[in-house]
Amino acid sequence: MIAGPEFFDCNCSYGVTAIPALRYAKTVSELRDEMSWCGIGRALVRHASQRYESPVLWNERAIADIKGHSGLFPCWAILPPQTGEQLTTAEFLESARSLGVKALWAFPQEHRYCLDSLTLGDLLEELSARRIPLFVKDNAINIYNVMREFPNLTAIAVNQGPHSLERYLRPMLDRYPNLHLDTAYYIVDGLIEEFCDRYGPERLLFGSGFPDNCSGGALLRLLHADITDDARAAVAGGNLQRLLDEADL
Amino acid sequence: MRAVNDSPLIREFVTFGKSETCPIIDMHAHPGPFHGSYLPHASVQGMLHTMERAGVTRIVCCPSEALMADPDMGNAVMQRTIDHHPQFLGYWGVNPNHPDAIRRAIADFEKARGFIGFKLLPDYHTCPVTSDRYTPVLEHADSHRLVNLIHTWGYSAYNSPQMIEQVATKYPDAIFLMGHSGYGDFEAAVRVAAEHPNVYLELTAVYVAHDFGMFPTGSGTPVPIGSCLQVNGVIEHMVEHATSRKIVFGTDLPWYSPHYAAGAVLFARIDDEARRDILHGNAQRLLENSVVSPGSL
Repeated sequence: MIAGPEFFDCNCSYGVTAIPALRYAKTVSELRDEMSWCGIGRALVRHASQRYESPVLWNERAIADIKGHSGLFPCWAILPPQTGEQLTTAEFLESARSLGVKALWAFPQEHRYCLDSLTLGDLLEELSARRIPLFVKDNAINIYNVMREFPNLTAIAVNQGPHSLERYLRPMLDRYPNLHLDTAYYIVDGLIEEFCDRYGPERLLFGSGFPDNCSGGALLRLLHADITDDARAAVAGGNLQRLLDEADL
Repeated sequence: MRAVNDSPLIREFVTFGKSETCPIIDMHAHPGPFHGSYLPHASVQGMLHTMERAGVTRIVCCPSEALMADPDMGNAVMQRTIDHHPQFLGYWGVNPNHPDAIRRAIADFEKARGFIGFKLLPDYHTCPVTSDRYTPVLEHADSHRLVNLIHTWGYSAYNSPQMIEQVATKYPDAIFLMGHSGYGDFEAAVRVAAEHPNVYLELTAVYVAHDFGMFPTGSGTPVPIGSCLQVNGVIEHMVEHATSRKIVFGTDLPWYSPHYAAGAVLFARIDDEARRDILHGNAQRLLENSVVSPGSL
């Protein structure tokens, strides 16, 4: 055994896509193998096609795939309700709750919509009130737009890198205490340490980015970040667990 | 954390953050601040702090200042760094948009101490690596068997792997490190490295996907370069098709954390011998066989 924090990965996926990584996990079982290889115990999991294809098909398929795998928790991707592809807010959240969904993802670039009050106002208000985590993969300007309208939204801005985007991010992090980041692309040297110094470790979540990235990169980075062991444990998994515990879903 | 696998090298890095038997040699770094990114550890002192924590014992650099601003001033900064810190070696920064500096580069290089070759950044200088404007320095690199770091990117009009192949064929005695390994066109880069003894794959950025759609102002290069949304498995592909002996480690430090980069190498599905080649052995061999700028003799 190697001592260290318990890792709870907030940003990983499995499944076949049109342009796969050279090495990826076709199935949930293969994802478990990768996690074991790296020593990652638990994960919020999505099928890659929830991003690269339509959530209409793949949200429910992910539920079926992940069911029965202890330590793995499914997520759903959201779409605008106006097209009829997604249920009403109440129906959507009740369906998610009944199927064990633990968090939601937004891919505005891939799915071509604006994450704002005009498009998703009802849902974003409900997520804010119920503290349901929304992982958002979008650029910093669009993140700002949604946080400006929904400052109480529990948002996790993912994939913010690999270049340093601090000049965009810090003004938002300073203003919006419910804005979080993940570590999958937060790889510029010293950023994790400065984040913890400036904001405390509570708003930083371990993400591997697998299979877009190798899980071991983010893992070794956090293991040897120049932060306290308590901060490391929080980022590795404690913060994500807290967000899930706080959510009314 | 649970036990993971039976690699002694992984266990050493996981436990201590570094290895006594496999110190890292970083072949791609750029001390100093960069206009488009905030870099917390941009100073030499900041870099040294990180290097100590990750067991990076030798690093080969070209300051951003030499490439993005004044080559004369930037190369002078590198010289002072080398003179004060034995962990540092240098690439002489070359910018073809400054013909005077290009003309002086060889003489200046000859007088310098601790430089192993030239650094070319064609995507940012908008001058194809095959341009005649580079001829004097490439001829010098060839005749002196220098180790040169060239920024490469897949499908670029300035520094694609295929263009490196042309240069490597024309100058067979110069050593070329393909910075970023032709990012996004790894298949071509691996082929070029496999077929040309004087070409190596350099890993900076290879371990992390680049989605320039996430950057509000795009790639930051004068002409946009391409995204690559998945990179997991690239290191394994390189080892399988070009062998671990043709890959060197790099980080762009103070950009990418060496722990992140090393983690990607360590947790790749390759054996410890290959990991040691990449993190240390190949660069050590290149440096042992390289001709350091004669001013240091």
